[in-house]
Amino acid sequence: MERQIINKKKRVFSVEPNKIPPSEVFRRKYTSHLVPALKKLNMNKNSPQINQLSVKHEVDMALALSAQEFSWSRFLLQKLSSSNNPTTTSSSSNGIRIQERSGKEGGGDEDGETEEKLRELQKLLPGGEEMNVEEMLSEIGNYIKCLELQTIALKSIVQDTT
Amino acid sequence: MDLSVLERVNWLQQQQMVSPDFFEILGSDGREELKRVESYLGNNNDEMQGFRHYETIDGCISRTSSFQMEQVKNNEENRVIALQPKRKTEGKTEKIENKKKKIKTEDETESSMKGKSNMSNSETSSEIQKRDYIHVRARRGEATDRHSLAERARREKLSKKMKCLQDIVPGCNKVTGKAGMLDEIINYVQSLQQQVEFLSMKLSVLNPELEFHINELSTKQFQACFTDLPEAVSKQPMMVDASSFPLQQHGSLDYSLINSNQTTILSSQKDQTSSSWEIHSQCLYNNLRTDSVSSFFSHK
Repeated sequence: MERQIINKKKRVFSVEPNKIPPSEVFRRKYTSHLVPALKKLNMNKNSPQINQLSVKHEVDMALALSAQEFSWSRFLLQKLSSSNNPTTTSSSSNGIRIQERSGKEGGGDEDGETEEKLRELQKLLPGGEEMNVEEMLSEIGNYIKCLELQTIALKSIVQDTT
Repeated sequence: MDLSVLERVNWLQQQQMVSPDFFEILGSDGREELKRVESYLGNNNDEMQGFRHYETIDGCISRTSSFQMEQVKNNEENRVIALQPKRKTEGKTEKIENKKKKIKTEDETESSMKGKSNMSNSETSSEIQKRDYIHVRARRGEATDRHSLAERARREKLSKKMKCLQDIVPGCNKVTGKAGMLDEIINYVQSLQQQVEFLSMKLSVLNPELEFHINELSTKQFQACFTDLPEAVSKQPMMVDASSFPLQQHGSLDYSLINSNQTTILSSQKDQTSSSWEIHSQCLYNNLRTDSVSSFFSHK
């Protein structure tokens, strides 16, 4: 229930003029986490090639740290801090998943199809497999929002450097 | 001042005290519901009547203690409303959801409004919510046993959440049905994740040349990027979606995307080529946008 309130809070325009909109808050937090981490990476590795996976690791870490009120972020943080090796990229698994889905779409009854899609959605969300469906749907909402904000922040960082 | 409910909500929205999402939650049905409520309670210009329905509809929030709808009083009230925005949204949505439930709860509000204190207000709203939760009235022709009631309540919650998601994910309005919408949502999440990956890869390539001007970035720049959000988000997914369906006829576009990535890696040493990568990606981007938009929708 609290989380729902926080969700709604994210979308409501604030009445007081001094308050910063939550998307802005997220953005500042995100950049303040990511940029120093990248700097550190830059300085630590003297070789010109910076490991792509470690950058991805930092990106994910920044996301998890800037959105700490959501349960998916806690799960992500746990996953990132526990594993020494950075998590594998999701593109390969995405491809497989898409093909699976198109294969099964033909012969399922409606309920089974929906259930399956919900399960897939659960896989996409970090920590989604351990939540029940309702909770997962609300978490997906704010996960999407945070991903959008993250892409904007990343784009602006990349744009600044070119 | 005898405002109708709709006018009042509109006025509040202008004052930016009601989130625009509130209207989305209400939806077009919601406004009709509001009108129906008005007609139910009698939309007379009679002052007494007006006072009564003004109070009951805004149930949990407004607490006029007199008939006079002066401007001053309205402002005070609205400040009270502003202080409890969340409660209001939830209270209202809870009330307005089911037809039969609503009339019942409004009767209850009317009777309990005579207390006229803040405490009783909050109690009432929570009471209403509690009652809504327990009293799921069976509609005509539906099974009334416990399991199907619980099942139906669960399904309603699910569909409510799906509607919220529909607002977030662009392009969900055109598809109907749960499965289609879920498909859209899955695609969207996947494309967002791929974008993040793509950008982080780009970042890792450019990292050695990074000059951190973050401190110099003004907040205006941040906000400018924010206003671009609807555009950017709608354009980018198109670009990435094309690459995520390599089985389609746009395989050639997919290859060109991969090729450009490779050129980036090879030419990361030179400054000039990094700018050419930008130009190249721009052309690519434009091509993908025009072609993939049509293909994306025709695939569906």
